[in-house]
Amino acid sequence: MHQALLTLGFGLVTAAILSLSAVAFTLEYAVTNVANLSHGEILTVGAYAALVVHARTGSALAAALAAAVAGGLMALAMYAGVVDRFIRRGTPTLVIFIATLGLSFVIQNVLVIIFGAANVAYTISPGAPRQVGPFLWTAVDIEIIVSALAITAALYLVISHTTFGKALRAVSQNRELARVSGINANFVASATWFLAGLVAGYAGFILAESIGTFNPSFGFSFFLITLTAAVAGGLGRAFSTMVGAVIVGIALEFFGGFVSAGYNLAFAFAILALVILIRPRGLFVNARRSVFE
Amino acid sequence: MKQYLVSVLTEGAIFGIMALGLNVIWGWSGDFDLAYYGYVALGAYMTLVLTIGRHPAPERYILGLELPYLVAVVLAVASAMVLALVIGLIALRHLRGIYFSIVTLGAVYVLYVMAGQFVPLFNGYQGLSGLVNPMADALGIDFNSYQYFFLGFAIAVFLLVYLFLSRVSNSRFGLALRTLREDERAAAAFGRDIYRLKLKAYLLGAGIGGLAGALFAAYLSAFNTSAWAPLETIVLYAAVLVGGRGNIRGVVLGVLIVIVLIEESTRFLPDIPGHPAIVLALRPIVIGAALILFLRFRPQGLLPERRYVDPIQRTAAPGGTT
Amino acid sequence: MTTEAPVALDVRGLSKHFGGLRAVDDCSFTAPKGKVTGLIGPNGAGKSTAIDLISGFKLPDAGTVVFDGKALQGLPPHRISRLGLIRTFQTPREWRGLTVLENVVLARWDEGRETFWRGVIGLRKAQREATAAELTRAREILDEFGLSELRNERAGNLSGGQKRLVEFARMRMAQPQLVILDEPMGGVNPVLGERMALAIEGFIATGTSVIVVEHNLPFIERVTHHVVVMSQGSVIATGPFESLRSNQAVIDAYLGEMPTYEQPSA
Repeated sequence: MHQALLTLGFGLVTAAILSLSAVAFTLEYAVTNVANLSHGEILTVGAYAALVVHARTGSALAAALAAAVAGGLMALAMYAGVVDRFIRRGTPTLVIFIATLGLSFVIQNVLVIIFGAANVAYTISPGAPRQVGPFLWTAVDIEIIVSALAITAALYLVISHTTFGKALRAVSQNRELARVSGINANFVASATWFLAGLVAGYAGFILAESIGTFNPSFGFSFFLITLTAAVAGGLGRAFSTMVGAVIVGIALEFFGGFVSAGYNLAFAFAILALVILIRPRGLFVNARRSVFE
Repeated sequence: MKQYLVSVLTEGAIFGIMALGLNVIWGWSGDFDLAYYGYVALGAYMTLVLTIGRHPAPERYILGLELPYLVAVVLAVASAMVLALVIGLIALRHLRGIYFSIVTLGAVYVLYVMAGQFVPLFNGYQGLSGLVNPMADALGIDFNSYQYFFLGFAIAVFLLVYLFLSRVSNSRFGLALRTLREDERAAAAFGRDIYRLKLKAYLLGAGIGGLAGALFAAYLSAFNTSAWAPLETIVLYAAVLVGGRGNIRGVVLGVLIVIVLIEESTRFLPDIPGHPAIVLALRPIVIGAALILFLRFRPQGLLPERRYVDPIQRTAAPGGTT
Repeated sequence: MTTEAPVALDVRGLSKHFGGLRAVDDCSFTAPKGKVTGLIGPNGAGKSTAIDLISGFKLPDAGTVVFDGKALQGLPPHRISRLGLIRTFQTPREWRGLTVLENVVLARWDEGRETFWRGVIGLRKAQREATAAELTRAREILDEFGLSELRNERAGNLSGGQKRLVEFARMRMAQPQLVILDEPMGGVNPVLGERMALAIEGFIATGTSVIVVEHNLPFIERVTHHVVVMSQGSVIATGPFESLRSNQAVIDAYLGEMPTYEQPSA
């Protein structure tokens, strides 16, 4: 039991990072209907930005901010440079999906050129693990969980209680209708992607902190797990995505405990396949349909 | 120099076969399948475990037979099709669009992870080796001339696949497949069993991928997880897209441009001292950029699919309801 | 007491709901064989959903659909199509990248020649002859519809009206026992509409029964022998168009009068 609780504790850390990444991905999808396959690269860029700033300033706080800002700018560039141009032409979303895959390829390798392909170490001394209730967490772990909760709460407030949030929801429901009602859909989408990038960039920072090393492809690997959570929760639905992320994060930790962690990815996708087969639209959506509905 | 040319052309032929197979699934059937490279990899792995016999420990892998190369090729193709059947049964039944792509992406990553982590399967990250100059003994080819022989063999296989697919393309089956790509609902309304057709196309494409993998294994003499990455599928997609999706001549052109030209041109760039990774990283950047640009500006590719022009020329017939 | 006229389609108790919304609610009607039946009703009456249910594109929650003595409910669309029921869609669904000629030729599902092996290997004389015969027939049909000039054009390049004609040509090629037209008059000018009316009469002449879903009531008056009126998911009235004019339930559903059809002078 004790062991199970410990694993649960570690799982919650993973779940925290996963939920931030997944929510950001879901926001991107919600306002553009595009599943952004280069989303993982936002995390990677955030991690590298944090590394550079930390090396210069020695401040973890500055590093965190740098990660967020870099992520926001990267996401904005993705939107304005690629995604929006396709949307304006009325390109089918599957085609844009393919384009984001190409984008992932490009960004990962640009990072290779700048930083090299090798693993870089990201050492922020985690501090000694302390007993917090039934869990064993380091100071960094606690920061991760707390900050994830705070960001999630902030996002929730923004989405449900601000005019911007209302506009966001309108655009995600029906872009044309929102535009006709006077909402500048393009601005809302750009701002949302920037926001999502802030969150994802920060997620990259805490992920790097948590793992300790990273390389240009680490965001993509983590993204594949993020994808599991996002699709399991239901693409485009923020709340259920978060629940999906928590479940997947904890499940992975338990699974990793029984079998080597190298299989994590395979396990995550096994979950995904199962979810998609049973409920193609996600765990929390009704479904009894023919393939045409 | 000659040796270099031979190897480039051989690789070109092998990738040409791969791209032709992908064209069946994406160009004709319209499914953005991200698992494709997995079929190539499985073809390569299976060819090896069927031909290299049993190596001593610590190497571990399944089977370990010493079958003739051509027999192994056939079995490798069959196993790729079996894998495709499993994945296709799951992914094609209810899923379309990005959900289909994501599940296939997952499937190929599962294969990738298993191949690397689960050692008893294909010897893990070390992989397999030892397929040296297959068919050389049987045909009496000496070591030095083998590369020319294999080049001829690869090109012959490529031409066979090309001609075969040319027949498929012009057949009613090929046309029916394309109605699925153009409009699934209308295809169903006019009697096409979408699931069955797509599954057949998927198996066909995967089988061709497995064939390419079998050749690839002979070409490299070995195969392990560093020889393939699931994302390499993007390179094949870029080739098919740039060349002309759906048009098999376009696919060949695309392979020449994307794979042969771009790959080889970066090979000749000087290494920048201190940054060995840069030149290697340029290739995927150019390919990724080409993919995006073509999707945006020329999605039909350089050689668009040809229109069928009615062989009978006639002037407008009088009558009919006006 | 009725003289039993043969029935092309017998729908009983068809139902489908989405969450709380009852899109189709215990809908029942019959379509007589060899005639044109109209299916009308205000927006949201459930007409399109009913057609989706009948043709297999949606799964009904309850009810039966009997066509030519066979039960259709639960069957996938391609099976229903092979049994002889073919439908169109509200927006023209041509095979964009294929030529107009190909669009028409491919309207007929040919079990014998569409399998993989026959496609690749089969070059037997019978097959070649079949292909030639098919092409000839397709050309004739395109002639009838005045589309011959366009036969080598990619179908996606055609105008909306031309695409609708291609749909009719496809139907003629396929020769089903029952054709269901889903709002064929959408965005169509009166001259083209008259052409369609004549094409529908052509279907009847060759023994095909027709069901037309339409908002354009003048058109319905022009082509149909029998009309079914739906409102809020179920059938509220049936009969010849004229008789519905004075039907109070129908008037209420439409909130007013129903206009008449004028033959265009062309």
